[in-house]
Amino acid sequence: MASNNLMVGLEIGTSKICVVVGESRTDGTVKILGVGQAPSRGVRKGEIVDFETAMKCVHEAVVDAEQKSDVMIRSVYVAVAGSHLQSFNNRGCVMLPEDRDEIDEQDVEDVKSNAREVSIPAQNAFLHSIIQHYHVDGQDGVLNPIGMSGQKLEADFHIIHGMRTRIQNSIRCVKELPLEVEDVVFSALASAQVVLTKNQKDLGALVIDMGGGTTDYVLYTDGAIRQSGCLAIGGDHITNDISMGLRIPMARAEKLKIEEGSCILGNCLPGDMILLKDDSGFAGKEIERETLNTIIHLRLRETLELLKRRLDEESYLNYLGGGIFITGGCSLLNGLDYLAGEIFELPAQVVHAHTTSGLTSAVENPQFSTAIGLIKYAQAVQRDRRPRRFGRIFGKFFSGIR
Amino acid sequence: MIQLSKSYSLPDSVEDFIPIKIVSVGGAGLNALDRIVLDGLERAEVVAINTDVQSLASSVAAHKVQLGRNVTRGLGAGGDPELGYQAAVESSEEIREALANARMILICAGLGGGTGSGAAPLIAQLAREAGALVLGFVTLPFSFEGKRRNAQAREALDRLDQFANAVICFENDQMAEIVPPKAGIHQAFASADMLISQSVRSIVNVIQRPGLIRIGFDDLLAALRRRNGRCLFGFGESDSDNRAHDALTQALKNPLMDRGRMLSDAARILVHIAGGPGMTLSEVEVLMQELGRHVNEQTQILFGTAVDGRMGNRLSVTIISSLAADGDIALDGVTSLPVAVPTPSIWEQQPQPQTSVDSVPESIPMPEPPRVPPIDFAPIEQEPPIAEPAPPATSLSKKAESSSVAAQGRSAPVKKPNPVEEKLPAKQEVLQFEPVTRGRFEKSEPTIVEGEDLDVPTYLRKNIKVK
Repeated sequence: MASNNLMVGLEIGTSKICVVVGESRTDGTVKILGVGQAPSRGVRKGEIVDFETAMKCVHEAVVDAEQKSDVMIRSVYVAVAGSHLQSFNNRGCVMLPEDRDEIDEQDVEDVKSNAREVSIPAQNAFLHSIIQHYHVDGQDGVLNPIGMSGQKLEADFHIIHGMRTRIQNSIRCVKELPLEVEDVVFSALASAQVVLTKNQKDLGALVIDMGGGTTDYVLYTDGAIRQSGCLAIGGDHITNDISMGLRIPMARAEKLKIEEGSCILGNCLPGDMILLKDDSGFAGKEIERETLNTIIHLRLRETLELLKRRLDEESYLNYLGGGIFITGGCSLLNGLDYLAGEIFELPAQVVHAHTTSGLTSAVENPQFSTAIGLIKYAQAVQRDRRPRRFGRIFGKFFSGIR
Repeated sequence: MIQLSKSYSLPDSVEDFIPIKIVSVGGAGLNALDRIVLDGLERAEVVAINTDVQSLASSVAAHKVQLGRNVTRGLGAGGDPELGYQAAVESSEEIREALANARMILICAGLGGGTGSGAAPLIAQLAREAGALVLGFVTLPFSFEGKRRNAQAREALDRLDQFANAVICFENDQMAEIVPPKAGIHQAFASADMLISQSVRSIVNVIQRPGLIRIGFDDLLAALRRRNGRCLFGFGESDSDNRAHDALTQALKNPLMDRGRMLSDAARILVHIAGGPGMTLSEVEVLMQELGRHVNEQTQILFGTAVDGRMGNRLSVTIISSLAADGDIALDGVTSLPVAVPTPSIWEQQPQPQTSVDSVPESIPMPEPPRVPPIDFAPIEQEPPIAEPAPPATSLSKKAESSSVAAQGRSAPVKKPNPVEEKLPAKQEVLQFEPVTRGRFEKSEPTIVEGEDLDVPTYLRKNIKVK
């Protein structure tokens, strides 16, 4: 462990690659030292499709971050996303031997591996096993059983798994740079760490991270993750729709979406036109604002409704006291919170990472929630690691991936 | 002998001067008057009329009239229009005196209370008797002020209508639209006052300003001739680089214009464009062309323009028109999507059984998700669907959809025949056989969910025409 507790988060996104350098302080807060970015090419829908190009872009981002924060980056926490990621809840059970009735750490480890004994597709590997609650001898809702007496220890876990090869793609891309990969994290999980407060997690909250290539989501009730997943629809799809619908090139469509786009219908005057100024100086094209908004609205509505259908498979949506929190690049689209509120029938708001200290302007942009979340996750991991330095660490996180 | 003036400036001969008086009645009216005077009003006189002497004393008007010396004795009318009326009757001689020597009288009042609602109609009557053109600028109370007050306001409006040539009403509920949500409440009221003041001043300017193409009384009368009709008013001013466009946009966004939606139904529109000496013909052209897009082809546009040195860099557009209670022009070709939630105006419009496109026949089977009503309507029994069962579903749906958007469509909501997930009108027209290319997603794996390839644009898959 470096003495200055440097942590670096790397997000290989579809629209941008982002590296956030942070430092963990003794009082538990995290200070952001610098943020490096680079436009991303070679990544589509959250997954790397062109290895060489992606590597170059990651390199650019890392160099940028090193310059801005004035540190050498050696190892990173990597965020992954992609439609191949799936999740489910499972319960593990461990009986204590007769001679002992106090639960210790080994039992907790055992129950976790027991929970993982579920058949997942052969090409998949476990990414996360996140504890929800423990149950000791039938007593529910135990948060920390170590030290308690009991015969039977059960635990509910939320397990996220994904295709081994795809996850390894991201890892290899980083390793070739060369950089060490400390850990691989599901991106919505990372975002949730900085976007939600503990209170909100207890009340129940849904975090939707709408990025360029994917829409990831994670749902908490009673402080524990219940559902998570990833849809391979993102801002790129909206841009593509606009580009095809209005017959303009992608770059223009992107600019149009960012500057003038809105997903609220009926807000414009009937003849309201947007003038697309041509670079060459000719009078550009004129399009109706309502048309643009319709295209955006349709796509977003479909995405959110799809998400809702997925979440409705379990009934956790009914238990959300905190509402919906939208983050990610797409959340900057005008009116998305209204649309989400309408579809889910819950209060929805657009949020960004909570300010810790350091660079606030970076923190306040929803595009960086995931990368900043990685730092927070890293901090939590290191805090857990410190008492157990001796070897079991990597087993916890990397089993199945290497 | 003919005398030529040395400096050939724009003609402003005294004989053409049309005396205009602005008469404010009641507490709200006096507030608006103070605002008007504050903003600067030339070429018109102001008169303040109220029962409450205290408010009269603090008004900045030069000419003041107290109503009901014996009836109300210097106090207000207490929210009772009857009392306001009596007070006005008692002081009718003084009112007549105040109204004399004016060819156009603008009455400002806030309806719902006592003095404004009670006295304004009488003042309008006296003004008409004096031979002037009477224009009313009134505000209608908030809906939260209760049924009684709103009913009183409506009644007063009806009576005022009988005597005034035209009435422009501003609903206080719309105040929320003109201020940012976090603004203090005094700012909200101040904005409402500013709106009224702007309207009043621009009308005065339209009449008084020396013009290249003059808009005279007769034009104004013609534009506002309709009885019992809603008056639309829009005013915009801008000095930006794109000022013609910005001024027009501002004018159309004016709450008194109802955001330009009803403009397409007006029979006659009066447009006055004023600017400094730097105003160009192309600006005027651009503005009129853009305006033309919002109005019907058959609408008669009365156009006037003036060059006023004092405008400097600013360009202003004033749009006045009236909408009759019964549809002036048959509606067609209005293709905007149904808008969400305008609070229905207090003005009760007669339902239009005559216009053939008004009702949406539910019996016509529509294969695509049918169009959807605007949100807050209580389902009313439909008038029997008129005509046209035969024509193809597409053209009918287009007409049906267009009718619902127009103001008259307010009284004709639709019942959805089938439950529909998306709340959009399916502009069901020709199916687009676009080449289904993957575009940006060529290299990646298609996102297939529930049998559909989600990489294909949503609007294509749902067959909604977007151009």
